[in-house]
Amino acid sequence: MSHNPDLLQLEGLAKVFPNGTVALRGVNLTLRAGLVHGLLGANGAGKSTLIKILSGALPATAGTITWCGERVSWRRPVEPQAAGVATLHQHIPLVGTLSVLENVFLGESSGWRRTRQLEARLQRLLQSIGYDIDPQARVGDLSIGQRQMVAILQALAMQARLIVMDEPTASLAAAERAIVYRTIERLARVECTAVLFVSHFLDEIMLLTDEVTVLRDGVAVLHADTRDLDEGKIAEAIVGRAVTALTREPAQMKFSDPPLLEVDQLGCPGKVAPCSFTLHAGEVLGIAGFLGSGRSELLHAIFGADREARGEVRVLGRKVGRSPAASVRAGLGLVPEDRMGQGLIAGFPLWQNASLPFLESVAWRDFLMAHRLEVARAEEAIARLRIKAASVDVPVSELSGGNAQKVSIAKWLTAATKVLLLDEPTVGVDIGAKTEILQNIRAHAAAGACVVIVSSEFEELLEVSDRILVLRDGAIVAERQATRTTEHELILLAGGTAAQGSHAGCRHRGLSNHQDRLE
Amino acid sequence: MHFERRAAPLLPMKASVDLSRVFGLRAAGVYYALGLLITALAVVTAVTGRPNYLSAVNLTNIVYQSSGVAIMGVAMTVVLITGNFDLSVASVAALAAAVQISVVDSAGFVPSVFAALAVAGALGLLNGVMVQFVGINAFIVTLGTLTAVRGLVLIVTNGRSLMVQDPGSLSAMTGFESGHLGRIPYPILYMAAFTLVVGFVLTFTIFGRRIYAVGGNAEAARLAGINVPAYKLGAFVLSSLAAGFAGVLFGCRFGAINPTAMQGDELTVIAAAILGGTSLFGGAGSVVKTLAGALLLFTLTNGFNILDLGANYQGLIEGSVLVVAAAIYTLGGKARLRRPAIAANASPLTKEAV
Repeated sequence: MSHNPDLLQLEGLAKVFPNGTVALRGVNLTLRAGLVHGLLGANGAGKSTLIKILSGALPATAGTITWCGERVSWRRPVEPQAAGVATLHQHIPLVGTLSVLENVFLGESSGWRRTRQLEARLQRLLQSIGYDIDPQARVGDLSIGQRQMVAILQALAMQARLIVMDEPTASLAAAERAIVYRTIERLARVECTAVLFVSHFLDEIMLLTDEVTVLRDGVAVLHADTRDLDEGKIAEAIVGRAVTALTREPAQMKFSDPPLLEVDQLGCPGKVAPCSFTLHAGEVLGIAGFLGSGRSELLHAIFGADREARGEVRVLGRKVGRSPAASVRAGLGLVPEDRMGQGLIAGFPLWQNASLPFLESVAWRDFLMAHRLEVARAEEAIARLRIKAASVDVPVSELSGGNAQKVSIAKWLTAATKVLLLDEPTVGVDIGAKTEILQNIRAHAAAGACVVIVSSEFEELLEVSDRILVLRDGAIVAERQATRTTEHELILLAGGTAAQGSHAGCRHRGLSNHQDRLE
Repeated sequence: MHFERRAAPLLPMKASVDLSRVFGLRAAGVYYALGLLITALAVVTAVTGRPNYLSAVNLTNIVYQSSGVAIMGVAMTVVLITGNFDLSVASVAALAAAVQISVVDSAGFVPSVFAALAVAGALGLLNGVMVQFVGINAFIVTLGTLTAVRGLVLIVTNGRSLMVQDPGSLSAMTGFESGHLGRIPYPILYMAAFTLVVGFVLTFTIFGRRIYAVGGNAEAARLAGINVPAYKLGAFVLSSLAAGFAGVLFGCRFGAINPTAMQGDELTVIAAAILGGTSLFGGAGSVVKTLAGALLLFTLTNGFNILDLGANYQGLIEGSVLVVAAAIYTLGGKARLRRPAIAANASPLTKEAV
C-alpha cells in the first residue's frame, strides 16, 4: 500500500485526564489517503478519546500529530475541520428544521444565500458518491440512515480529506448500511479520501477496511492489513487474553419451582423481533449486544415502557399489564441507560430519589410521607452500595457518575423488586464502583429475585451472569451458559458473520432462543 | 471500617447545607421582599403623617384583595410544578361567575355554585386532554382557551353586564362572600384553607411527592411507575376549579359580572407564582411562597394608592420587581450548584474514593 501517501500520523499519542484516568498510553496510527482504516476495541479501550483528540474536542497529553507532513496541535474543533478532517459522531448534530441543502452547507461562512450555486454543488457531490436525496427535504423528516448520509455529504462539502466515522452503521437497517458501505468504498477508491471507520461489527470491518488497528487499554495491540486477518484474530486482539476461569461455581440450575419471569413472544415492530425466555429466582441473565442491537428496546418492552411492544410478560405466572406502573406493582424494576435523563430526578435530594418507586413503603397509611423511614432507607442504601455523598440531602445532580448510578440502582434494591432489569449499569462508572454495583446485583439475585442485565462489556457479563443471550439486529441470535462461553465467542456472535441474521442477512428473523443452544 | 468513617462527617455537613437552603435569598427571598416592602411603607406613612399603614383594617384589606389571585396562584403553582402552564385561569373565572349569575335566580345558590365549578372543571379537563393526550404545548392550548373562553363569556352575557335579580339569591351570594368570622372576611379564610390543604398535600403526602417528581423529570417518574398523565391532567383540573371558585367569589362580591371582568388577571396570577420562586421548568415551587408573592404584588398596588404615587408608575415597578426576582432566583440557583461541589471535594468521604 506504499503508493498511498500518508495523510495523518499519530505517534506516541497519550491522554491522561485530570482525575488521573489514563485513556491512551502512546498510540501510533497512520492513516493513508484512499484507504479505509478500521478501529476496534472494547468499551474503555480508548477509541472515543482518540476520536475526540482527532476532532479537536480534547487536547492530547503527549505525543505528536502530523497532518500532511506538518506537525499540528488542534485545540478547537474548527481547526481540524479547516485542515480537512471531518468527524461523524454517533449522535449526528444536524439541524432538524432546516433542509438537506442548508444542513450540508451549514459550515459555509458566506453571508449570502447562493441557493442556486449551492444546489449545483450538492448535485455534483451526490453524483460523485452515487446517492440521491431531495435537497429541499427537511432533515427532521429523514430516516436515521438518510441523516447519516447528510452528515457524510456535510463532510464532503467541506472538502474533508479524512473522515472519521464513529459507529456509523450501528443504528441503521441493513439496506441503509449497504448505502453507507458503498459510499465509503467510493470515497476511498474514487475521491481518494482517507476513512477511519470505528465499529464493533467484525463482519463489516472485514468487508470494508484495508487496514485494522485494535486498541486495548489505551494501547494499539494489533496493526495489520485486513487481508492478513480474520474475525477470530481481531476478536482475540480485542479481548487480549484468555478469560480467566470464573471463580464462581456454576449455579445449581435445578429449577423445579415455576419460573419467576416469563417473557412470551415479546417484540416491538421495527425494533425487536418477538422473543421468548424464562428466568428463575436467583438467576442473572446477561444480554450481550452492541449499540443498535435492540438491547435497550428489549428491556423497555419487558418493563411495559414501550407502547408499541407486543407480547406477554408474566411474573410468577401472572400476566403483567403493559405499563410501567403495572410492572412496578408486579415487582419489575428498570434501571435505564440514561441515568440523568430517565433514571433520576436531578433536582431531588438523594433520599427522595431513593424512595420514588416505593413511596407506599415509606408512608403512613399509603398517604402521609414518613420522613424518618425515608431517610433511614436512603442511609441504608448509602451504606449498602457505599455511595459517596456528603449527606442524604445532596441533590443527585451533584453526585459523580458512579454514585448517581448507585442511587438509580438503590431505589430498586428492595424485596419488592422481584425482577430487576439493568441497562448498561456500569457505563461511565469507575472500577471500584463497578465492582460494588455488580456485587449488589448478584446479592439481589441471591436474595430470591432475578436479574436481566444488558451490557456491551462482555467481560462483565461473564462475571455476573448465569446465562447470556446474544442480541443482534433486534433478534436473539444465540444463548450460552456463562461458564461455557468466552468473551471471544461473544464478540464473534454479536458482531461477526458467525451469528445468523447478520448484517447482510435478513433482519428480525425471530429466532427462538432454543434453536441455538450450545448443549 | 468503611462504615465507621462514613457516619461521622454526616451531621456537620448537613447542618451547614441546610442553613443556606432555608434562609438563603433563593429560598426565602420573597418573604424578605414582602417584609422590606411593608416596613418601608409603614415608615413612609408614619413619617409623612398619613394613616397608620400597619393598621389591622389596612392589612386585612390587602389580604382580602389578594384572595382571588392567591387562590388561583396556589393552583397555578401546582400546574407549574408538574411542568405545565395555564393562561386560561382569568377567563375561566369570568365564565364561572357568568354561569353562576345566569343560573342562580332559577336554580338557587348552592346548585349555581356547583354549575359554575362543573363548567370550570370541564374546561380544565379540556386543557389537560389537549396538552397531555393531543400533545400540544400548554402555552398554546391555554392561550387558545384564554381567548375562546373569554368569547364564551361574551356569548353568555351577550356583551352586557349581567346582574342577579332575585333578592334571595343576592343575599345568599353576598353572605357567602362578605361574611366575617370575627374580623376576618370569609375570602381570607377560603384562601388560607385552600393554601394550607394544597401546601400540606404537596409537602407531606405521597401525591405531593409524585407531583414534584412528574415535573422534575417526567420520564424518570414514568419509569418509577407513576401515572404521569393523570397527575398533569389533575393539575389542570385543579387550576380551573380554583379559578372557578375565584370567579364565584368575584360574582358574589358584586352580584354582577361584566364581560371584561378579571381580564389580564392570569398574568398577575403567574407573576405571583414566579415571585414565589416557582420554576417554569417544573419540579420546584411552594404554595406558601406563591401566597407571599400575591401579597407582595397587592401590597405594591396598595402602597401606590396610599402614597398617592399615581397609577402610571405601577406597571413599571411591578414588572421590574418581577424581573429582579427572577434574576435573583436564577443567579442564586447557579451559585448554589457550584458551592456544594467544592464542599464535597473537601469532604473526607470523596478522598477515600480516589
